[in-house]
Amino acid sequence: MDILNQTGRYFALLLKVFSKPERHSLYMRQTFNEIENLGIQSVGIVAIISIFMGGIMTLQVAYNMTSPLLPKTLIGLGNRDSLILEFSSTIMGLIMAGKIGSNITSEIGSMKVTEQIDSLEIMGVNSASYLILPKIVAVVLMFPLLYILSVFFGIVGGLIVGPAVGAVNITDYINGIQYEFNPYYVTFSLIKCLVFGFLIASVSAFFGYTVEGGAFDVGSASTRAVVNTNILILVWDLILTQLIL
Amino acid sequence: MIEIKNIYKSFEHKSVLKNISKVFNQGETNLIIGRSGSGKTVLLKSIVGLHKIDKGQILYDQRDFTSMGQKLRKSLRQEMGMVFQGGALFDSLTVEENVRFPLDMFSNLSSIQKQKQVDYCLERVNIVNANKLSPSEISGGMKKRVAIARAIVLNPKYLFCDEPNSGLDPETSLVIDALIRSITIDLQITTIINTHDMNSVMEIGDNILFISEGEMCWEGNRKDILHSDNQKLQEFVFANKQYQKIRDDKMNE
Repeated sequence: MDILNQTGRYFALLLKVFSKPERHSLYMRQTFNEIENLGIQSVGIVAIISIFMGGIMTLQVAYNMTSPLLPKTLIGLGNRDSLILEFSSTIMGLIMAGKIGSNITSEIGSMKVTEQIDSLEIMGVNSASYLILPKIVAVVLMFPLLYILSVFFGIVGGLIVGPAVGAVNITDYINGIQYEFNPYYVTFSLIKCLVFGFLIASVSAFFGYTVEGGAFDVGSASTRAVVNTNILILVWDLILTQLIL
Repeated sequence: MIEIKNIYKSFEHKSVLKNISKVFNQGETNLIIGRSGSGKTVLLKSIVGLHKIDKGQILYDQRDFTSMGQKLRKSLRQEMGMVFQGGALFDSLTVEENVRFPLDMFSNLSSIQKQKQVDYCLERVNIVNANKLSPSEISGGMKKRVAIARAIVLNPKYLFCDEPNSGLDPETSLVIDALIRSITIDLQITTIINTHDMNSVMEIGDNILFISEGEMCWEGNRKDILHSDNQKLQEFVFANKQYQKIRDDKMNE
């Protein structure tokens, strides 16, 4: 019953979020701020994680390829496809749910418990739309870009680590990442990124917007938001993989 | 003028407000007083529409707020200003941006006109050289004054203050009280203040509603309080020995 209740409240909030904005220029300004806060400021962590994961995946593929019959080009290919299909979309989605999601929940939750949201409502502002819509737009726009960056840095990570430890030479690795490239894998993952971006922003905002109490409750709401977003990302990953891959 | 008629409000079967009626006059500082947990904040939030009442009517200059559609409600809200207990300033904006926010959202003034209005309001509440500071960099008293400036920037017809003196020292409390009173008189607005600060009651209580356990217990003005024989009011007001002395002195005169 609680899940049904929460789901109903989530969709009711979305209805409020996607109503006509009071002043477009303010919403635009807010959206650019969110692109900076939630998107641009995530580039660093995305780059670091992707470089390391690209390197680690390259090593693991190399260490598992014990048969001399398997060409070394498969190492680059394995890294590329893992990054394109799962790591840079799904795993990065899970990581971003922690970073961006908890940020959104705690920001909106703190505004709720300090009556800043009531203050917006008293002024006649649609607080849900003003606070949440720019975040959804920003994350949905930025997540596909972060995905592309993640794939790039992951491949670079493999290129640095693989040859550095002697697991694969540069020529084999580059041949591998170019071998049998299927562009639809990227399209598929970009679609996933749009869905995951929407889930990260909207679910986290829902938990922040509906928080009651004080600082402790904001902390609990952040945890619940991250856990629920992660579960939803995995469920939608399964659904989308089955439906469109 | 704001009129509330037979208001009832409950939360999960717990009755918080029971049959409260009152007229809050324009150009006067109307006070809602009572102990902590008596239902003052719920009443104030019900009047401004943050809580949906179970039964009753709320009239803003004869306009029925309770039966209004979303659109009309929204436009009426632009005639309201509210000062919250903690100030409720937006953390991400500076003092000046906080005051300018309602103008950016709802007015069609030019940038220069907006700046003039912001400067006027900040001057009105005696905030100088703090325009570019963020809320975390200013004191509690200043936060309240900035909140008042933000509440009056759109020239509201109705001003609501929830515990404006909570957490402030007595001297700053007097400044805030005087400020709210002067704004009420100068702009001829209807002001409703929620408080349990007896100094405020005695300083600016033109029209007072005393509620206890969600029920309307007494109404009058600051002069009537000293002569009232209402038992619950007496216990609330004269819990402080200083006020007992004032009452005894008055009686002896």
